[in-house]
Amino acid sequence: MTDTPTHAPDHVAPQADPMAVPQPDHDGRLVHLLRRFAPWLAALGRLTRHQVRFALLVIGSGWGVLRESMRPNSWRRPVIYEFRATLRQVVSGGFLSIVITATLTGLMVVSQAAYWLGYAGMAQMTGSILVSVLVREISPILVGIIIMGRSGMLSLTEIGMMVLGGEVRALQARGIDPFLALVMPRTFAFTLGGFTLGMIFAVVSLLMGFVVAHSTGAITSSVWTFFFNVLGAMTTWDYLIIPLKFVLVGFFVGVGSCVSGLTVGSNDTMATIMPRGFARGIMLVLVVNILFMLDF
Amino acid sequence: MTANAPLLELRDVVPSFEETGLMPAPYNLRIMPGECAVIDCRDFERAAMFADLCSGMIGLTQGSIKFMGLDWSALHDRQLNALRGRIGRVSRNSSWLNLFGTHLNIMLPHLYHTTDPFDNVVLHATELGYRFGLPGLPTSAPDRLSGADLARAACVRAFMGRPDLLLLEDISDTLPEENILPFLEMMTTARDRGCGVLWFVRSAAAWHEYRKAVNIHMRLLDEGLFPMRVV
Repeated sequence: MTDTPTHAPDHVAPQADPMAVPQPDHDGRLVHLLRRFAPWLAALGRLTRHQVRFALLVIGSGWGVLRESMRPNSWRRPVIYEFRATLRQVVSGGFLSIVITATLTGLMVVSQAAYWLGYAGMAQMTGSILVSVLVREISPILVGIIIMGRSGMLSLTEIGMMVLGGEVRALQARGIDPFLALVMPRTFAFTLGGFTLGMIFAVVSLLMGFVVAHSTGAITSSVWTFFFNVLGAMTTWDYLIIPLKFVLVGFFVGVGSCVSGLTVGSNDTMATIMPRGFARGIMLVLVVNILFMLDF
Repeated sequence: MTANAPLLELRDVVPSFEETGLMPAPYNLRIMPGECAVIDCRDFERAAMFADLCSGMIGLTQGSIKFMGLDWSALHDRQLNALRGRIGRVSRNSSWLNLFGTHLNIMLPHLYHTTDPFDNVVLHATELGYRFGLPGLPTSAPDRLSGADLARAACVRAFMGRPDLLLLEDISDTLPEENILPFLEMMTTARDRGCGVLWFVRSAAAWHEYRKAVNIHMRLLDEGLFPMRVV
């Protein structure tokens, strides 16, 4: 045991080969390096997957809603009841908020625009400025935020609590598809509600702005002339894009709220569901508007 | 479904343990049309999980479950839901949606799965309500009803629309004494037209009066499903 053999036996010779030593060291270093960075990479991957997961869920569910809605037997009686109840809630729940917000926005934007454009001698631009700033850009964002706050969060909480309480599972046990019974009708109700409230917002904000601007003397024309100028400043695309924005904002707020509710985990509580849903809702509203801004 | 074929058949079924917590032991059960199987199970959760298993809602690691000759695992979503619509179920927990009134909760599966005229559905539900001691269809939200009224409403919902299989969780502690007999009568009527019954009970007292009419008696334990002798 103590003597070192002068000639090592044949079968141990390869282990003593100095050429074989660097390979295990190199591999070991690589493994060590990977182990060191693995938690960071895993965290980064988890975050990316988590963020992308919701985007993919929304896209997939949106497509599913459209596809399922084409089938006549998707619109069964409980689905229609749910659609009506949600539409009533979205429109009646958001109506007052929309009118107040539209009034305040009209006071600020229309009167200021009319005053400063008149001051700069560009009063003829009032119509086109109002269309592009107020009706096309600001209205969809504010309408989306109000719909999300008044109704989207409610849907999210209701569905989330139903998932946590086991009611969604009970629906499935009775052969009722939660996607058909909850997600599809609510999404369409939000879509229609978004369009309705958006149109109310646009009209009220312009009207209130006119009233204030007229009373301060910034605008001297009649209300009909004012609206005629606004409509005249709208291009053909505006007639398509403005309603489409309202519709899409409603659609994505609806589908986002419902999907967020349906995908809550067993560890979730109201304290985790609501902030997450709010952040996602805001993100969806902005994404829809930014996408339109990029293309048009 | 062919003649003389089992209505519900579990063959060497091993449920996913992660999903259910049920012991991964092979479960075997066979119910013919019109038969009544009583399953003793002290744990409500386990009984509900087993009822879910029979409804094809739980992933299997082995075996197959066939209902009306159709393997749950071979069906698509729409077929699954349509087939589940043939099952009447009494659940102990979490089966009521407070979004709607109790009347809509009762009629919801029937309105969803059929195209029967609304008035007929209401009439049918109201008649069943009378049989179970309700003064009509309760329209208030389920969380405003007493436990006894909810138990009655659960019975009405389960027996609505001529189900082919009844999965009855034990509500004997909340169902009033005077409703036991109508409950057993309705069960017998359903069985007479070929409906199978899987009745989960916590104690012998719950099914004592119906003992002679029971075909299968089993016990659901941690270790699996064990046949018992029907006395």
